[in-house]
Amino acid sequence: MYRIIQTALAALFLFVAMAPGLRAEEALRDLVNALGEAKLSEMDEHIATLAKTGKPEVVAILEALGEGELYASKADGQVFLTKESGSNLTLTDPISGDSAGEAPKAALSKIRVNNSVRRAVRTALGSLTLLSPDRNQRLRAARSVLQSPDADALGAIENALAAEKDAAVRAVLEQARATMLLLSDRPVDEKREAVRLLEENGGREALPILSGALGSADESLKPDIEAALASIEQAQAFWNAGQNIWYGLSLGSVLLLAAIGLAITFGVMGIINMAHGEMVMLGAYTTFLVQDVVRTSFPHLFDWSLAIALPLAFLVTGAVGLAMERGVIRFLYGRPLETLLATWGISLILQQTVRTIFGPTNREVGNPSWMSGAFELGGLAITWNRLWIIVFALAVFAALLFLLKKTPMGLQMRAVTQNRRMASSMGIRTPLVDALTFALGSGIAGIAGVALSQIDNVSPNLGQGYIIDSFMVVVFGGVGNLWGTLVGAFSLGILNKFLEPYAGAVLGKILVLVLIILFIQKRPRGLFALKGRAVEA
Amino acid sequence: MITSFLIKSLDRTIVVAVAILLALAVIVPALNLLTAPEHLLHVPTYLVSLFGKYLTYALLALALDLVWGFCGILSLGHAAFFALGGYAMGMYLMRQIGARGSYGNPLLPDFMVFLDWKELPWFWYGFDMFWFAALMVVLVPGLLAFVFGWFAFRSRVNGVYLSIITQAMTYALLLAFFRNDMGFGGNNGLTDFKDILGFNVQADGTRAALFAASALALAGSLVVTSGIVRSKFGKVLVALRDAESRTRFLGYRVEHMKLFAFTVSAMMAGVAGALYVPQVGIINPGEFAPANSIEVVIWTAVGGRGTLIGPIVGAILVNGGKSIFTAAFPEFWLFALGGLFVLVTLFLPKGVVGTAQNYLATRRASHAAARKESESEKSASLAAAETMAAE
Amino acid sequence: MTGKKPRNLLYLDGVSVSFDGFKALNSLSFVVEPGELRAIIGPNGAGKTTMMDIITGKTRPDAGEVFFKGDIDLTKKDEAAIAALGIGRKFQKPTVFENHTVWDNLELALNRSRGVFATLFYRLTGEDKSRIEEILSTVRLTVRRDDLAANLSHGQKQWLEIGMLLAQEPELLLVDEPVAGMTDAETAETAILLKEIAKTRSVVVVEHDMGFIRDLGVKVTCLAEGSVLAEGSIDFVSNDPKVIENYLGR
Repeated sequence: MYRIIQTALAALFLFVAMAPGLRAEEALRDLVNALGEAKLSEMDEHIATLAKTGKPEVVAILEALGEGELYASKADGQVFLTKESGSNLTLTDPISGDSAGEAPKAALSKIRVNNSVRRAVRTALGSLTLLSPDRNQRLRAARSVLQSPDADALGAIENALAAEKDAAVRAVLEQARATMLLLSDRPVDEKREAVRLLEENGGREALPILSGALGSADESLKPDIEAALASIEQAQAFWNAGQNIWYGLSLGSVLLLAAIGLAITFGVMGIINMAHGEMVMLGAYTTFLVQDVVRTSFPHLFDWSLAIALPLAFLVTGAVGLAMERGVIRFLYGRPLETLLATWGISLILQQTVRTIFGPTNREVGNPSWMSGAFELGGLAITWNRLWIIVFALAVFAALLFLLKKTPMGLQMRAVTQNRRMASSMGIRTPLVDALTFALGSGIAGIAGVALSQIDNVSPNLGQGYIIDSFMVVVFGGVGNLWGTLVGAFSLGILNKFLEPYAGAVLGKILVLVLIILFIQKRPRGLFALKGRAVEA
Repeated sequence: MITSFLIKSLDRTIVVAVAILLALAVIVPALNLLTAPEHLLHVPTYLVSLFGKYLTYALLALALDLVWGFCGILSLGHAAFFALGGYAMGMYLMRQIGARGSYGNPLLPDFMVFLDWKELPWFWYGFDMFWFAALMVVLVPGLLAFVFGWFAFRSRVNGVYLSIITQAMTYALLLAFFRNDMGFGGNNGLTDFKDILGFNVQADGTRAALFAASALALAGSLVVTSGIVRSKFGKVLVALRDAESRTRFLGYRVEHMKLFAFTVSAMMAGVAGALYVPQVGIINPGEFAPANSIEVVIWTAVGGRGTLIGPIVGAILVNGGKSIFTAAFPEFWLFALGGLFVLVTLFLPKGVVGTAQNYLATRRASHAAARKESESEKSASLAAAETMAAE
Repeated sequence: MTGKKPRNLLYLDGVSVSFDGFKALNSLSFVVEPGELRAIIGPNGAGKTTMMDIITGKTRPDAGEVFFKGDIDLTKKDEAAIAALGIGRKFQKPTVFENHTVWDNLELALNRSRGVFATLFYRLTGEDKSRIEEILSTVRLTVRRDDLAANLSHGQKQWLEIGMLLAQEPELLLVDEPVAGMTDAETAETAILLKEIAKTRSVVVVEHDMGFIRDLGVKVTCLAEGSVLAEGSIDFVSNDPKVIENYLGR
């Protein structure tokens, strides 16, 4: 019983609601059909009228128009949404969305569009989708409105704003409203309010809006706009500096990764390993191989591919390092220049080996999902892969520091490098320690290669790009001092990025090289140099 | 004073080497120009140019040997001096093209017209005159070496540190010369040369003359270098190579000594570059690549650093090998070169010539001991002193 | 103190230097008269070598003054300039030019103009030749004149180095452990050699060998922890309780 009453009430309600609806539907159908008869020059007007109705059906119609899928029947001028199916078209009623059967193409004529019509469609869609139930669609629409503000759409924005609950969408809408307000002929007070709003949350985009408005603005408004411009510019400068520091930190972390293995082999052991860059390259190729296997055999593990590659890269490059030390370098201790030449030879061989196996071109190494994309922090755009690389570089640094300072292995390494004969007479097997230290430095280069494969081209030349930079970092930071390498890497990174806007990327790099060369004049042993008699040995 | 300096420079090996070079300077062009192509002894033009190129490499290796073999400075930036000399010559050759370029601009080289430059940059002035370009060929590398060395040696940057910053220097120049707005043709460098001193650079006669000029330049540099290393100054160089602070405590200004040797060496490298460019027909920033500088080191090491003939022999051996190798198995050249670096440093630290000289010296010394003749012993130990390699 | 001009050959006053917090020299004061032969003893780390480094310009002091011949401030000059002023130094380890002959070693050490061009165009004059021959006989190396220095025995290298110092014609000679690793006979001969040299110039000898110092029979300075502990004759110094405590041992 209760049920019946409820149903009846619902039906009654529906009827009441639909009676005016039916009338509106007729009006809409007329408007849509008018599209079929309109000339190209009149289309803009028709589209605007359609959009003003604010009906949700209009979205699909306008989208179809933009895609060229809106056809008018040659017989009665009825307009349909269509889908191609062979030589026929499947028709859909634009208002009800019901299927309207099929018709041969020849029976219909396509409603022609050109670029100006498409633009009108986009703008119209922008203000229409502002009312969409989907939050993301609204956000996108709000952004597109903000990008091409139009004073006439002010009403639509204000309507949308009144209905909007989501804070993020509201913020964008507010800004769009303020922008449009400035372009409109609203009273000065409202405009002043808009200027204030733009100043508050408008970033870079607000600058052209405000300076555009400055020319046509009321005299009493001009000081406000100018003040707003100045304050935005100041904020921009601040964020720019912040962004530069971020880029610098990012570059610094790359330098740190590339140099940290060298800080062991060159800094601690005093071996000039010109094949260090090739160790990085081997690490990157290990990552490539791991991803290749994962992609073909265990696709679900792709996000773990880097974690799998890390230990493998460490082992591969560590083993190559061990072989190098045992096979060549140990015969050259105490002859640094010969070591330099021999390791350069090894670097050529490693490069050519990789080139022969993998080919000379870049190989594709993918980012796992947690390393893709970016987020915004205030005015900073921060990409996940860069952030992870900074974290990773610092983690490797900390682990190495711990290993050297707090473990027996580290103690032996330091003992051997400081006084080989004393260490050996205390029962430390110095050749073993040498070999392991060198393998450690090489292994760390391999780990660096895993990280660098995420941001650089994986090619046989990968290592060459880093070798000079990493030597510069170690020399600048002070040989034999891990902290020096850390400070050296980050200060060179930041310096580089601050020079770049003024000097350009290449000239900036040259300037940094020149500065380092001059710096070595002043402090031949780097930033954190060891002092005393032992140094001159 | 100068004559005694030169006379002292001539010992038997140097006399023989200079004689061979002078003979080559005459015979090779003659065989190229005066014999018919099908004649048994005819030297084809491509070989003349190829060996002319080797001779400029040999000169570059000799220049490096002066600082590395005798003074212990392992420069990894000598290709930069070579390239600067080459660019100076290239600029002269560009100006000689005149209105014959593709754009027909009488003043501006093609690449400047292409970049829509309106006037010649100031540093291109004067390069239309050969004497000016020739002066720049030695002055520019010399000045760079002087300034760089003045800073480096004064603050006692030594050993591998010095090697690394010389490498950074050539790397910085590489980056700089790649830039279009540097005004040196950017990536493509300088090329499409037409003539030199009024002669067509492609002509057989010009190529033969360039070969002869390279041989003469090498012979002249050999005499000068020999004079330097045989003088008391040369002994100071070896002394500071082996025991720098001892030399300092004897009152020698080690930094001045090094600076002089480094600058002279850079000038020689510049001359080598200037002779190289017209023979290969192009100079581009690739010549600054750090790898090139290191390759020069291996030529010198193969031949024998600390000997004067060694770098010449080494440069010709390695480059000859490279030409044959890259034609036969291009894939394997880098393996061979890399292996050469390792093997020479491990098993042949004195190089081919150094090892041979050592062997001869010991044999001569034992002969002399047998005859109890002290005069021949002196010459043997002198030769041994010269060939002793740096540690 | 600066008002009164010191007229000694070598004058060190209040010289301090530290490496990474370690005080190698602690307000050291030390004077050498012209023509004096002086021995310096002291335990390891007493600052003996650092003192020589300061005098020869290898290390700069953090504080204090160092004057040569009364008014030449050595703290403002580098090694080469100080060597040219007439201060010679022999290292702890014998350092000679191993790839040169004995003759060339002496020729290089000879006190002649040492500029780039002067050496480039240098010609051995009769005068220089006889000077080298004289030194060769002084250091007893005449028969080995054409041998490479690398082939000399340890003691002969020490003598060659002393010969090089003589060729330098210094007014002050700093000699660091000249008899380390020498046989007894060589040690005795070295003592005679040094006394001979000291007739014409001042010599400062650092040595651990007490017998050798007794042979020299000169004024002794004992350094410890970077400053002077005692100074006087060998008997006076070796009986000083502080010296026994710090160096000789009870």
